[in-house]
Amino acid sequence: MPTSRRAFLGASAALLATGCSGTADVLGLRRAVRIAVSWSGQELRAFHSVLDGLGQLDYPVEVLPLGDDISTAFGPRSARRPDLVMLPQPGLVPPHQKDLESMPDDLAARGRARLWDELLVVDGTTYGLPFKTAHKSAVWYRPSVLRQVGLKPPTQWSEWLYLNRTLSLSGIRPLALAAGDGWVLTDFLENVLLGSSPSTYRALATAAHPRPSEQPGVAAALRLLGTMWSAPGALAGGVERSLVQQFPDAIVEVFGHRRAAMVLASDFAEPVVRSFAADPDDIGMFTFPPISPGAAAPVVVGGDVMVLPKPTSDDARDLVRRLAAPAAVEPWIAEGGFLADGVTSGYSPELTRLALQLVTPGASLQFDLSDRLGPLGDINGLWRVLTDFLVRIGGRGTDVVPEAVEAALAELKKVEG
Amino acid sequence: MGLQSNGLSLEIVGREISGRPVPGKPRRPTGPYLLGLPALLLSCVLLIPIAVTVVAAFKRPDGSFGLGNFAVMGDPAALHAVGNSLAWIAVALGLVVVGFLLALVSYRLPGLSTFLQPALVIPFAVSVLVSGATFRLIYDATPERGTVTAIWTELFGSSPVWLGPGLFWLVLVSAFGWTWLGYVVSLFRAGLDAIPDDVSRTLTTEGVTGWRRLLALELPLLRPITGVVTLTLVIAAVRVFDLVLIVVPGPMQRDADVLGLNWWRATSTGEPAGRTAAMGVVLFAIVAAVAVIGVRGLRRRRWAMPVSVVPVSVVRPSVARSRPSRRARRIGWTVGFAVGLIWILPALVLVATALHSPREAGLRGWWSLHGIGLESFAAAANAGLLRALLSTLLISAVATLVLLVIAVPTAYLVAWGGLPHWLGRVVTSAFVVLAVTPVQMYAAPLRDAIGTAGLAGSRVALALVHAAAGLPFAVLLLRSAFASASPVLVAEALQGPARQSAVLATVQRRYRPALVAVAVLEFALVWNDFIVGFLISGPGTTPLSLVLWGEARQFSASSGTVAAAAVVASIVPVVLLLSFWPTVVRGLTVGSKP
Repeated sequence: MPTSRRAFLGASAALLATGCSGTADVLGLRRAVRIAVSWSGQELRAFHSVLDGLGQLDYPVEVLPLGDDISTAFGPRSARRPDLVMLPQPGLVPPHQKDLESMPDDLAARGRARLWDELLVVDGTTYGLPFKTAHKSAVWYRPSVLRQVGLKPPTQWSEWLYLNRTLSLSGIRPLALAAGDGWVLTDFLENVLLGSSPSTYRALATAAHPRPSEQPGVAAALRLLGTMWSAPGALAGGVERSLVQQFPDAIVEVFGHRRAAMVLASDFAEPVVRSFAADPDDIGMFTFPPISPGAAAPVVVGGDVMVLPKPTSDDARDLVRRLAAPAAVEPWIAEGGFLADGVTSGYSPELTRLALQLVTPGASLQFDLSDRLGPLGDINGLWRVLTDFLVRIGGRGTDVVPEAVEAALAELKKVEG
Repeated sequence: MGLQSNGLSLEIVGREISGRPVPGKPRRPTGPYLLGLPALLLSCVLLIPIAVTVVAAFKRPDGSFGLGNFAVMGDPAALHAVGNSLAWIAVALGLVVVGFLLALVSYRLPGLSTFLQPALVIPFAVSVLVSGATFRLIYDATPERGTVTAIWTELFGSSPVWLGPGLFWLVLVSAFGWTWLGYVVSLFRAGLDAIPDDVSRTLTTEGVTGWRRLLALELPLLRPITGVVTLTLVIAAVRVFDLVLIVVPGPMQRDADVLGLNWWRATSTGEPAGRTAAMGVVLFAIVAAVAVIGVRGLRRRRWAMPVSVVPVSVVRPSVARSRPSRRARRIGWTVGFAVGLIWILPALVLVATALHSPREAGLRGWWSLHGIGLESFAAAANAGLLRALLSTLLISAVATLVLLVIAVPTAYLVAWGGLPHWLGRVVTSAFVVLAVTPVQMYAAPLRDAIGTAGLAGSRVALALVHAAAGLPFAVLLLRSAFASASPVLVAEALQGPARQSAVLATVQRRYRPALVAVAVLEFALVWNDFIVGFLISGPGTTPLSLVLWGEARQFSASSGTVAAAAVVASIVPVVLLLSFWPTVVRGLTVGSKP
């Protein structure tokens, strides 16, 4: 025993020595540029490949995966202020503008692109740059099940409801809903709201004190949404399963276990779809259909923007410059699930379609609403209200919808304060 | 003055006092006090932030003092969290009872522990985050992936959603129980083994059996150990935080909210500092109230274990504890093997999942024969695992080293350093209070201070905080070890000229297991830590658990990677604890043997 113990101690000491000698940054002594991101899993690995592609840098780079709590990155009582934040809620830029450094002048123009400008530009100064764009109106499905019931992807909301009914009647669950991730629910509502009442959407997005509970458009959107979710047999696994499902789980349900036909998931779901599909040829995608004939199809846009918390350093500015170079994100584009702002080529066929829709003139494009409502659009706001709404109506038929809409509006009113 | 024990009459003969009485107090040299100085300085790392928090809790926004901030506890969400935290304490107490009963069974059925012992130690060695991830894998709602769901569906056609509303408690409590039961059983078992055979035989011949025996013999004798066990488990129960974060799916987190989690959400959403400080104080009050009850055994200077008068070696064979029959041994062996197998199953699930490719792990369960390979380990390595490992190793090693260098002299000072009686009690009480103080009491001011000092992200700063947080428990444990030296020997050494060295020579034989226990436990604790690193240094310091946590956010797609990272993360603490477990248990129950 003594010898083995000694050997163990010796080995650990040796390991420690090698660890200390080469990597002062492991000790935290050399100042690294810390990038806070909300990504995890495959996205995080893809971002590491982007960083690796930047070549030799003069400073170590450390990635902090903050998940859904990314908004704490530059809060007033932040644990450790990162040097660079990949902010998935650009709506937070204007309220936190005084904590942020302005972008270098040579890059500022990129923050003034369409959609981004009203979020990233405050009083003529650019405080953020788009890094990654998300198309949040994509629905992934299995073409084989649609062929089975002899239908095509819906081009109208009513067609979608009809498709769901037909699938249910043939014993196929139409929707896998990832209600475990609150943003999936808000994405769904935003698409319906933008499709049915673009003016309400716009008003809420730009209001200083948005009060969605007082908007008739919101109530109407909730009723529409309720019609789809409350249809008996519409949700694969029922409400309880949906509640524990994160978005990759829902994708695996559709493409891996083939227990559902469709899943609302953004462009960034592509790698998950492809890696878990039991049949790589049975993958299709349509975009959210218009709610009424003649109306424009809703396109909800999300994304991650680069912001520099104050005070910044030359190293952090240098990193922003390198990451903003169009070639920097090529490794991620190659892996799939990445849309770069304004770039329409180099993607898979599905993502190319999404990228083209993002630059189509006249499309009903709006930035993600829940990201612009502040705390109201967050885990304790809209996420919770929609979760409760789903629990009240899921699979119970349209009769329960009006009452559930009333309850949801009352809850919203409470969180509006 | 005489006393009778086990049929022997003992008489203590005193000596007449000669010479005249001298008024005044004995001279107390100040030298030994210096031994406590490093500990005082290190404790300030906690004491000052705690003071800041307490002041903030009572300070109103206008600068006056009052209870206004505590109105935050009237908030239904906070009340719900308090209720859940209390429920967790009940779970911890229940686990103590179950562990005690298991220890009794294993004591009566020797042979049981051959297999059970390592099976019980492994879960204790892995981090809460790892055990949470494991149980989430086992209870996954998909029959293709989740073991329990698969079995249940096979038996009854369909299965409830285990992670769904209400039922997630089962998963949480399973994971918590899996982690801690081994610790409880091992400690109680060590205590039972220390009961001298002649005492238990005397009671048996007097016809004291069953419950009466339990009440008359085992329970009173095990009181000190019960104190230690209860204390540890209550602290663990109130600290439940990472377990909820990793196990409970988003929509149910509100139901599963505990005070620690509620506090963290409040601080990260920018609630006023006074209100969050008030929540920290309430959390502390709950722990302290329970700990005061649990700690009563600790307050004695020595464990109150009976000392057998006749050395066991010379006891006639018939008096020694009877060897169990072959049948009893065989039953014990079989039961132990079966229970051990069940207990080890989660660990096997974890390893088997890690040995599947990420795709297959996400699609099918650990029992599938498809896609076996090391791909998941490669994916975990790509997620920054190796860097995190190195960083964690460094933090754990530094924290353990600092802790030992400071705790040993302090424990000596408290035990035999000749502190005035009252001061000894004050110091001990202060350490007991510090040992149970939840991290929420000092996290916020501490991280502000670290940030202001420009040390944000420094691994050394984090290691120092860990050392400070581990110091109270280490000092209490080592103090018991020192104190367990025979009082006569120590008294003689204290009177003699060769004071320090003699005392040290007397006690050094006894403190070794305690020293190993402190070192091993601190290393494993820091290695497995999530909450201290998370709350104080922020996620940036990338200790191991944070990589795990990041991966676990897309559970099914990452289950192979999560499992691989968890396996790699667990190897060091598991090997460490398995190799030192007997010594650790001896160290924790030090003084329980004559």
